[in-house]
Amino acid sequence: MKCEVCVERLEEYLDGEVPAEEQEQISAHLITCAGCSETFGALTAEQEIFARYERDVEVPAFLWTRIAQATVAANIGKEGGWRAYFFAKPLAGVIAILLVAIAAGVVYVMSRRPTPKEIVKQTDPTLPRYGTDLVQERANRDEEQPQVKPEEIVSVPRQQRRVRPAIKHTPRIDQSDVLSSDLGYLDIDDQDTAKHIEQTQNLLRSIRNVSVTDGDEDIDVSYDKALSRRLLNENIVLRRDAEMKAKFPTKTLLADVEPLLIDIANLPDRARPEDVRVIKERVQKTEIVAALMGYQDRDPINR
Amino acid sequence: MMKRLTVDELNLEAQPGAFAGTLMNSSADLVTRVRQGDSDAFRLIFERYSRPVISFIYDMVNDRALAEELTQETFVRAYRAIRTMRAETKLSTWLFGIARNVARESLRARARAGNHVDLADKSVMDLSDNKPVPVDGLLSKELNELIRRSLAALDEDKRLVFTLKVLHQCSYEEIAGITGFSLAKLKTDLHRARAEMRKKISPYAGVGYEV
Repeated sequence: MKCEVCVERLEEYLDGEVPAEEQEQISAHLITCAGCSETFGALTAEQEIFARYERDVEVPAFLWTRIAQATVAANIGKEGGWRAYFFAKPLAGVIAILLVAIAAGVVYVMSRRPTPKEIVKQTDPTLPRYGTDLVQERANRDEEQPQVKPEEIVSVPRQQRRVRPAIKHTPRIDQSDVLSSDLGYLDIDDQDTAKHIEQTQNLLRSIRNVSVTDGDEDIDVSYDKALSRRLLNENIVLRRDAEMKAKFPTKTLLADVEPLLIDIANLPDRARPEDVRVIKERVQKTEIVAALMGYQDRDPINR
Repeated sequence: MMKRLTVDELNLEAQPGAFAGTLMNSSADLVTRVRQGDSDAFRLIFERYSRPVISFIYDMVNDRALAEELTQETFVRAYRAIRTMRAETKLSTWLFGIARNVARESLRARARAGNHVDLADKSVMDLSDNKPVPVDGLLSKELNELIRRSLAALDEDKRLVFTLKVLHQCSYEEIAGITGFSLAKLKTDLHRARAEMRKKISPYAGVGYEV
């Protein structure tokens, strides 16, 4: 292949958009041609710069609320009536539980031998209260609960229930398979690496846990493929940073992860089950998920 | 019909723009559920795509508040039109197509209103010196800002393809689906966009070459 032809195709080669046969020719040419190899290196470096570009924009917490009000909530309002009632599943569930509890209490009270009423003073209001006032107390407490209308439930942003973890947070002790992280004391490079590691770990765990057998239908991996591409770009940048800063454990970990991200990124949007299985088995064999989990447990100084 | 995968339940905290339910809820499944009236499915779509969509729109309009507003408009339009989405279309391509139209309408409305759409502040950046900024770790604030301004200075078509290809890693096929451009136009615009961006950032990023 001539250099003029190669240079003309290098951008598409970098983009992964050349046919397989041409890709091989270009790869072979780059091995032997210093000039073209240098140009390709410069293109790659440029790509890395853009991969690090950070926009000053985030998804604001109120955005879903506004969208929901104009879409799903409006849809429920239009349908109205019993559909609106049944959409408020949480409220229906709470009411059902309370009714059962009240009925059980009444049955219990009725079955007991009558005894003189005694009101037990409690110093700790959270302790259970025994006596015939229990049912009345529960009923009183229920009446004090704010009555939430279905449309209010719909408009409550989910972020209030599933809060996006802030950078400083305590490890979630009830989720042993989730990377615990306390990023507050890390410098910004380590924070970026830790976030990247966590996202990569989740992607590889989903690959590891997928149930697939040969002969099944093709699998839609388009989303995971796109995610892997993004993570791969980040991984390249972070790996080189770690190397320059002599953070060799981090560099080694990121180097181990990279081939897996490349393979996932190179899958077709609809992948054959055997192709997914091969990657799954490599993830299992290399125990890379455990290695990624172990990253955060290390002394931050020695990462 | 794509195979529905069964995987162990992942205990992921759903975050805006995060990868909620990788391989658990394929985009096609989510679209089907939204059409059946499942609001949770639409919420998942929002969480999965809101960050890339808002980033893309911001790249096009270079205004944070406007990007938030247009992202809202994008998802509202998507919800209302989801029944018309063709089965063979990828959800990401379809959503980005809507986002692109929303952004373009906004830019043209501003131009028609007589507001000079100067997305790029053309004042010369006052750098303390012209030495290449070491590219280690994060980009320097100056280089990041330079990229933002250079991107805003591209014409709309070049900015569109550059953003989709270089910043969002879309394939040529996806870009053609989002923009409606032919492959030839897409490649030409992309090559020229890269050349323009390279010319602007090379003095500060230590990269200088001709392709």
